[in-house]
Amino acid sequence: MQIAEPLQIAIDELSKLPSIGKKTAQRLALHLLKTDPENVINLIKAISDLKEKIKLCSVCFNLAVDDTCDICQSTKRDKSVICVVEEASDIFAIERTNEYKGLYHVLGGVLSPLSGSSVDDLHIQELIGRLQNTEVKEIILALNPDTEGDTTSLYLAKLIKPLNIKVTRIARGIPIGGDLEFADDATIGRAVLGRSDL
Amino acid sequence: MVLKELELTSFRLHTKTVLKFSDKLNYIVGGNGQGKTTILEAIYYLCTTKNLNQALDKEVVTFNKDDFEVKGLFKEKVENKVQLLFSKETNKKNTSLNEKTVSKASNLIGKFPVVTLIQLDHAITMGSPAERRKFVDSVISQSSDTYLKTLIDYNRILKQRSQLLSNIRENYSKSLMMQLDSWTEQLVKNGTYLIEQRIAFCNGFKEYLKKSYEKIMGDKETPGIEYIFFNNNNELIEKKFFDLLNEERDNEIRRAANLIGPHRDDFLFTINGMELRKYGSQGQHKTFQIALRFGEFFFIKDKKGITPVFLMDDVFGELDTYRAQKISEYLREIGQAFITMTDFGKLEELYTGNGNLIIKVDNGIVSYEEL
Ligand SMILES: [Zn+2]
Repeated sequence: MQIAEPLQIAIDELSKLPSIGKKTAQRLALHLLKTDPENVINLIKAISDLKEKIKLCSVCFNLAVDDTCDICQSTKRDKSVICVVEEASDIFAIERTNEYKGLYHVLGGVLSPLSGSSVDDLHIQELIGRLQNTEVKEIILALNPDTEGDTTSLYLAKLIKPLNIKVTRIARGIPIGGDLEFADDATIGRAVLGRSDL
Repeated sequence: MVLKELELTSFRLHTKTVLKFSDKLNYIVGGNGQGKTTILEAIYYLCTTKNLNQALDKEVVTFNKDDFEVKGLFKEKVENKVQLLFSKETNKKNTSLNEKTVSKASNLIGKFPVVTLIQLDHAITMGSPAERRKFVDSVISQSSDTYLKTLIDYNRILKQRSQLLSNIRENYSKSLMMQLDSWTEQLVKNGTYLIEQRIAFCNGFKEYLKKSYEKIMGDKETPGIEYIFFNNNNELIEKKFFDLLNEERDNEIRRAANLIGPHRDDFLFTINGMELRKYGSQGQHKTFQIALRFGEFFFIKDKKGITPVFLMDDVFGELDTYRAQKISEYLREIGQAFITMTDFGKLEELYTGNGNLIIKVDNGIVSYEEL
């Protein structure tokens, strides 16, 4: 069957999204075709705003609308603690638990020679830079508890310890091989509270 | 644990085969290429998600079909439904346990323990050290989740570390050397655990091996198993491991390879203190291989508290009557077993007690005969 070209293009684009297969893409495209033009325009605007207005926080590399993110700007956060995570999505997971009141630092990945990335691709220098600020008393490493995450934690601990800052790691409440992003809130909450020295 | 039912779809010769099994011995009889080993192959997929004879998954799909499916019903205290679907298009296997997707194969391994006795086993006593490591690792992994997960991590660390060594060889920097320290620390931590577990395993398994060997050959010959790893002369394993890595650092960088650790170890098999690999006869090798598997069966049964299923592929064909008789007697002590044979006549020599079942397979078509 020949599908009208604009429809086919829409289906192809939609199916590039994660966990959207061909069939789902087709259903979504047909739904958009039937829906009010206003809804479609709002969606287009939301998507293009997303790309235009969201950038990375210049301090912690969390997602931000301004130069720095809401957490870095907040006066209510405890500026003596920085929690180091792999991706910004890990911040959402920890924030949902309401257990943590400190600041964050997004590394943007972990050490993994196999993936071809180098240590300079990670925001490690920026983290060390933040530690020159004497306010910081503790670093919590909350990387995924897999081989690469653990090795990166060891590496960071070696870098940070000479600066006389306490380094802890979140407790292993998280199932082995389970990603932080997918662990349930209670588990992450307990893990952040029950962290251990490194 | 027993396997009650098995359903194969587009699985080699079996377009659609539904089997019901005996809780005891299931003799699967048929000529060559009629689809009897295929039944063992399917059971092995359910227990491990892997192929029994190291065939490619796509080779298992029936000619002109796109995917194969195996479904099984295990019973211990409760019933467990396991389902494995392989699709040629994605070249991926999808496993589910009681209709819930199992995200990683390692989450399934050990839940339905399985012991195999197959032609490829000759490599365990005759082949390279890698074959013996594979045997030991699979026995410990089926009885300990922590060992399996540590082993998977360790192998990942080896790959990452050898890539890093190669990066250092290309382009030396202080930062890379610092990363190497972190990977080395991980290598030693996980590797030391593997070494300690293997030492403990050999100590415990010795008795199982001895007992199995005795059942088949009497007590004139005593088998032994010894773990060969870097000699630590009573030093702490971890410290020795670090020291050796320090000594070999330049070599490791030059060759971009992990030169120290449990991935290079071996296991020494002996009979009356003599090395089997050097001095063993064909018959002794065969007996040893069988004793290893029976030992594995009882070891896992004790450690895990779950009776494994036993898969034996065409073993009786190459045994003399005496040993066939002994093994057949030994099988009475096993729970559920699946035993393929080509030679129908051999059946008469075997234990054919109550509740056992003969399954005849002819060109993928199955018929039963109760004993
Ligand atoms: Zn920020």
